[in-house]
Amino acid sequence: MGAAAAIGAFTVVPRHVLGGAGNTPPSEKINIASIGAGGQAASDLRQMESENIVALCDVDWARASGMFRRHPDARKYRDYREMLDKEDKNIDAVVVAIPDHMHAVASMAAIKRGKHVYCEKPLTHDVYEARVLAEAARKAGVATQMGNQGQASEQTRLMCETIWDGAIGQVHDVHVWTDRPLRGINDVYWPQGVGRPTEKPAVPDTMAWDLWLGTAPERPYHPSYAPFKWRGWWDFGTGALGDIGCHRIDPIFRALKLGHPTSVEGCCTLVNNETYPVASRVTYEFPARGNMAPVRLHWYDGGMKPPRPKELADGRTWSTNGILFEGDEGKMYETRLLPESRQTAYGKPPQMLERSPGHYVEWIQACKGGKPAGSNFPDHAGLLAQLVLLGNLSLQPALKEKVTRTRLLWDGDAMKITNMPEANQYLRREYRKGWTL
Amino acid sequence: MREAGTNGKAVGCTSRRQVLGAAAGLAVATIVPRHVLGGAGHVPPSEKLNIAGIGIGGRGQGDLDEVGSENIVALCDVDEHYAGDVFAKYPKARKWTDYRKMLDEQKDIDAVVIATPDHTHAVITMAALKRGKHVYCEKPLTHSVWEARQITLAAREAGVATQLGNQGQASEGNRLVSEFIWDGAIGPVREVHAWCNRYISPRGIGRPQETPPVPGTLNWDLWLGPAKHRPYHSCYLPFSWRGWWDFGTGVLGDIGCHQLDPVFRALKLGYPTTIEASSSGVNDETAPLTSIVRFQFPAREGMPPLTLTWYDGGLMPERPPELEEGRRFGNADDNLFVGDKGKMLGHRLIPETKMKAYEVPAKTIPRSPGHHKEWLIACKGGPPARSNFDWAGPLTEIVLMGNVALRMEKQLYEKGLKLHCDGPNMRITNLPEANKYIRDEYRDGWTL
Repeated sequence: MGAAAAIGAFTVVPRHVLGGAGNTPPSEKINIASIGAGGQAASDLRQMESENIVALCDVDWARASGMFRRHPDARKYRDYREMLDKEDKNIDAVVVAIPDHMHAVASMAAIKRGKHVYCEKPLTHDVYEARVLAEAARKAGVATQMGNQGQASEQTRLMCETIWDGAIGQVHDVHVWTDRPLRGINDVYWPQGVGRPTEKPAVPDTMAWDLWLGTAPERPYHPSYAPFKWRGWWDFGTGALGDIGCHRIDPIFRALKLGHPTSVEGCCTLVNNETYPVASRVTYEFPARGNMAPVRLHWYDGGMKPPRPKELADGRTWSTNGILFEGDEGKMYETRLLPESRQTAYGKPPQMLERSPGHYVEWIQACKGGKPAGSNFPDHAGLLAQLVLLGNLSLQPALKEKVTRTRLLWDGDAMKITNMPEANQYLRREYRKGWTL
Repeated sequence: MREAGTNGKAVGCTSRRQVLGAAAGLAVATIVPRHVLGGAGHVPPSEKLNIAGIGIGGRGQGDLDEVGSENIVALCDVDEHYAGDVFAKYPKARKWTDYRKMLDEQKDIDAVVIATPDHTHAVITMAALKRGKHVYCEKPLTHSVWEARQITLAAREAGVATQLGNQGQASEGNRLVSEFIWDGAIGPVREVHAWCNRYISPRGIGRPQETPPVPGTLNWDLWLGPAKHRPYHSCYLPFSWRGWWDFGTGVLGDIGCHQLDPVFRALKLGYPTTIEASSSGVNDETAPLTSIVRFQFPAREGMPPLTLTWYDGGLMPERPPELEEGRRFGNADDNLFVGDKGKMLGHRLIPETKMKAYEVPAKTIPRSPGHHKEWLIACKGGPPARSNFDWAGPLTEIVLMGNVALRMEKQLYEKGLKLHCDGPNMRITNLPEANKYIRDEYRDGWTL
């Protein structure tokens, strides 16, 4: 990170230097402003109602109306920049739950003001953004948490403890898969593998389209993007890997103490410049870490699955979303050793990790001077987000032919693809005029 | 090491033949051996065959070009427009729309070349076999597992010359794969990855609602043949029927018989024990946009159990570390053989230094005079062509069994199962409802 710090062009003033709210004592409530108030923001905020929700910002007031009604005293905004300016003195912390392409700029704006930040996954849209945002959070010393709630679960801890207990020996391969963007066999959560619409429907009255676009290149409004379906579009979302990767790779990252991979290589269905592919497979290689052996991480999405292990008995579901660890002394499917008889004989690993008071509570406690939350940006979320976003980079349409000739070799510390210089341009996209990190 | 021959009893076929023999009772068709018929009999090598082309607009045209040294005496196509150029190219050939009529009425035909959509391969092939005609049929041999079995048995009984349209089998590379593996070049093989990114639009979609008029140049009812009736739509033809389950067999059916042929020969594969599939979404109308199908084969003839993984739609295996930096590893199509002592991409050991250092074994498998030529020679009394139906039938059955797994993806997922196959008896043993995909129901008026 040291080497990369120089890349950041911004200046962050550590929180204790600012005349801002400072750490709120545990006995008091923190004042939260939310950037994004519909969709996932609403469900995040409902978990934070022990605190004061003082301001709500959304570019689409129709989508936000539920939260507006629920918190009638919260001041309402469309532009988060205006909100942060006007509410600077009133708020301690900010929730960022807007489309991926806006995570970094909104989170950075809050961090620069010394606000604590809870940001939805993936932390950012680009590898570069994740790097500088994590570094900024570290410098600012604010409490941060990414919205991958699963990190707080018992399963995540069990997975770590079982691996660390040596239950399956050294892990050499891990498979992780999701059916996203599919929803079941014949439906999708959001489309991928489609082209740009040509119709130009009117922007809904309730929506500030220009603000929704934010850092992204100008294009006409279309309901194919908002709400929610932006996930499938390169300009806005991060596809199935970005959406689910931060959830499902999280426990693997922890259990195997992963850091930067040394290489990434992927394949996918027909690529286009507009949307992510219908299905993909991405493979990362990690070097030895401490006493842990080198490991390969295999990601599959769009319904693709790794082979059903022979140790999995007939009748047991081979899930549409799963994790399989392959060690030199056995296999673990999610948190259970295979075959089931082995799990029964094994029982539970010794407890090595503290349990979480809850994903949101972790962050609120951190905001009040407690220890860092489990998915804080500097120590965890920044690295995890870089990993998933690097996977997307390996599927970049413009690199399609080039990546048939090599894996991408990654120098994580330098934030550089070392064997294909032209690939590095995809680590960081250009923002639309008027937007900076 | 046993030698493979061009006589149709290639390595691996023996057990298949025995298996098929055991199952012969299933055949319902009655075939009169060719020598009993008063038909054309064997044409001497010095004379020309009279060939009829059935389905000539698309792939059929290329096949006819390959047998153009013979007499093309009849041409049959349900689509006058699509076939127009080919009809014009062979002005002396009699023109037909309905192959049944052609076979009934035109008596001078020795052999037929069939290149119609998959769902009509079996009925046409069977009609020709019953008349003692030699048959060249495009791949896959049939649309269903059951049909493939019937055709295999019928062809054997008829004793005619047959060849499947998987022309890659005649290549040098196809033979090298076998010779290298049998030479132990990469040790025992436990894994094969085969992938193909052929795009056979459309897939992963539902049935159109519009009912445009049938073009005047098309006999839609005959195009449908044994398939269930549905209104004409341009999304089915030409060519794009491949993605529709009622007509085509997806990328696996289309390309599997080509690309898996060297794998089956080199590794002496017979019926698999289990199959599992995952895809980007299967529906009852079309094949998925992308899929992975994994076949498990038991130990065979001194070879260890093997997993064959098929990928289509752009997915492919991981780049093998043996492959040199800068060397292309693309998703178009290829086979990767993983042995205990090395890997082979296509028919080359990797890395290339290993290939260069490899003392290539003697060419024990006879080389082909050419894929179509093999068949012409067989028609004139020569040895059986190498992809004759004794070989092609079982190959097609197994490839199509992969589609059964794909079509049952949801049920297999819900029940937590892989598909367990009893190949010799053409049965899925652990999921009874899967058996409906073993045999197609024909439309009234159509039988095999």
